[in-house]
Amino acid sequence: MASLHDQMAATGKVKPSKDLSQGVERLKEEHKKVVKDCRSQIEHWKKVENDYESLQDRLRTLPDKLSYDIMVPFGPLAFMPGKLVHTNELTVLLGDNWFAKCSAKQADALVEHRKKHVNNTLDDLQKVMKNFQNRADFTDDLEKLTGDTGDFADIREEVINEEVVTKGKHRLAHKPNSKPKQEYLLKLEEEKEKNESEEERATGVLSEEELWARLDELERQEELQDKRYRLDSTDTNGEDTTSSSEEEKEADGGSDVQVNGHQKENGWVPSSITSQMNGTNGSHPEDDEEEEDCDEEAGNGLPTIYFSHTAEFKKVRINTGKNTTLKFSERKEQKVQAKRKKQSGKSNGHSPHESYKIKSPADIYRVFVDLVNGEPIPRKSILKSRSRENSVCSDTSESSTADFEERRAAFGRSWSHDDATHSDTSDGITEEESPTGTSPRTNGRFEAFTGTVIEKDPLPCSIPHLTIAPPALPTIPERKLEEVGPEAPQEPPKRMSKFKATRLHQK
Amino acid sequence: MAEAIQKKLQSELEKYQQLQKDVSKSMSARQKLEAQLTENNIVKEELALLDSQNTVYKLIGPVLVKQDLDEAKATVSKRLEYINGEIQRYETLLKEMERKSEQHREVLSSLQQEYQRAQGQAVGKV
Repeated sequence: MASLHDQMAATGKVKPSKDLSQGVERLKEEHKKVVKDCRSQIEHWKKVENDYESLQDRLRTLPDKLSYDIMVPFGPLAFMPGKLVHTNELTVLLGDNWFAKCSAKQADALVEHRKKHVNNTLDDLQKVMKNFQNRADFTDDLEKLTGDTGDFADIREEVINEEVVTKGKHRLAHKPNSKPKQEYLLKLEEEKEKNESEEERATGVLSEEELWARLDELERQEELQDKRYRLDSTDTNGEDTTSSSEEEKEADGGSDVQVNGHQKENGWVPSSITSQMNGTNGSHPEDDEEEEDCDEEAGNGLPTIYFSHTAEFKKVRINTGKNTTLKFSERKEQKVQAKRKKQSGKSNGHSPHESYKIKSPADIYRVFVDLVNGEPIPRKSILKSRSRENSVCSDTSESSTADFEERRAAFGRSWSHDDATHSDTSDGITEEESPTGTSPRTNGRFEAFTGTVIEKDPLPCSIPHLTIAPPALPTIPERKLEEVGPEAPQEPPKRMSKFKATRLHQK
Repeated sequence: MAEAIQKKLQSELEKYQQLQKDVSKSMSARQKLEAQLTENNIVKEELALLDSQNTVYKLIGPVLVKQDLDEAKATVSKRLEYINGEIQRYETLLKEMERKSEQHREVLSSLQQEYQRAQGQAVGKV
């Protein structure tokens, strides 16, 4: 047995099947043996039965005559002629050395009784034989079933194709730490280089100082443009009053930006801190994005971007509630692409370039990258709030809501801007303002609140919003701004839902 | 080391074989008893067929000893009891032996493994 074991161990795979076949072979042999035994036994018992039959016949005819002439066996070799008398007197061996003297008739009964036993045994033997024959058949079938090899066939899993055939590539989950594809990055960079001819020919990531310098410059340009723009079209977005106040706010926005600049210097500040500093959007310390956010916030609580249809390639007008126009660098634009996408109708000349890069939904992820230590890293989800991540890309969720509201506002409800603004950034400030801000118009129309509600941490960035005057009093807000501005930061940040803000405002 | 284990293995194997022999012996004894049981059963039944007229003999050695029918019946039933008792005894005996042989088998297999290991070690050393 041990040797067999060794063999099996040594030769491994092939042996077991052989062993199995051997086992089957042996099983069959055993079955055959049993069946054979049964057959022979049955033969034996049949003979016994026949003997009894003949005995019975004899017994029945024996007493017919008084005496019989017979050849008496005399030892193994010889017979002697003799006479059988006492034909009705028999001594029967009952078994276990018991004898009984009985008549032929009784003997006949005894024989009958024995025949019963014999029949029983025969039946049993037949049953056993049948059983084993069945088993043998079954093993035969099994062997046939398992095939010539004698291996198990029923559970046989052969993996032929390692690669699963799928249409196209496997879709991979967006890994948080994997870098975006290099080609895409390269493309982005190329684009940048093309567009920013006058800019520094920065490779992928500019140094922070450079960035900020550029941003400041851009902001200045934006402001200029904004003013110009406002002169051109005051009522794009609403009333004159708002615009004027907006301008004020713009100025403020400038300061705000500086505040932001502060943050920027901090660079990659943990998001919690930044969010505190940075108002509603909970924007990120990084890059242009942040600026944008801040600007939006500075403008008002409706961080909506409008893109002007001017020939200037790089200028993107960000229309916050106050018609703020911002000029964005190419980078910004790229990052804002997602935003722009949302505003499908308002997309400017950049769309082709957008489409060039983003061909499928999957590509969006490539555009949404985080900059960590200057390394672009794809974001886990573009739907997540940016406040938690340092992302270069614009926050889609944030902006989208803003867009929504902006659009809503654009549908002829200029007032709603302010309204929204208040609600959006509403803090303790709103409470202050609410008494002054009461406008007859608002009282006039109570409307169900339809905007998206976003709860945000009150931030210093929101200060400028305070300055937003109620539409009726365009000039006051300026002063207010001056007055309130300094105060506001000391105010404890208060959380308020948009609902509440609206309600307060409408009182 | 290997030799000691081998010796032990040998002795265990011998014991095991002895046990197996015993098992087979008692098995055959039991079978014999079974046969006797059936025989006696038949005798009993056939005795029941006879009546008081019939004389019953018991073959003791070379002679037939005349027995009373009732006596014979009683003797046969006693014999049956005895055989049943014997069968029971053998049954338990067989069970016991089965258990023992199982244990022996386990010991043997473990010993075998040890022996193989020892052999492997010896080979490794060499």
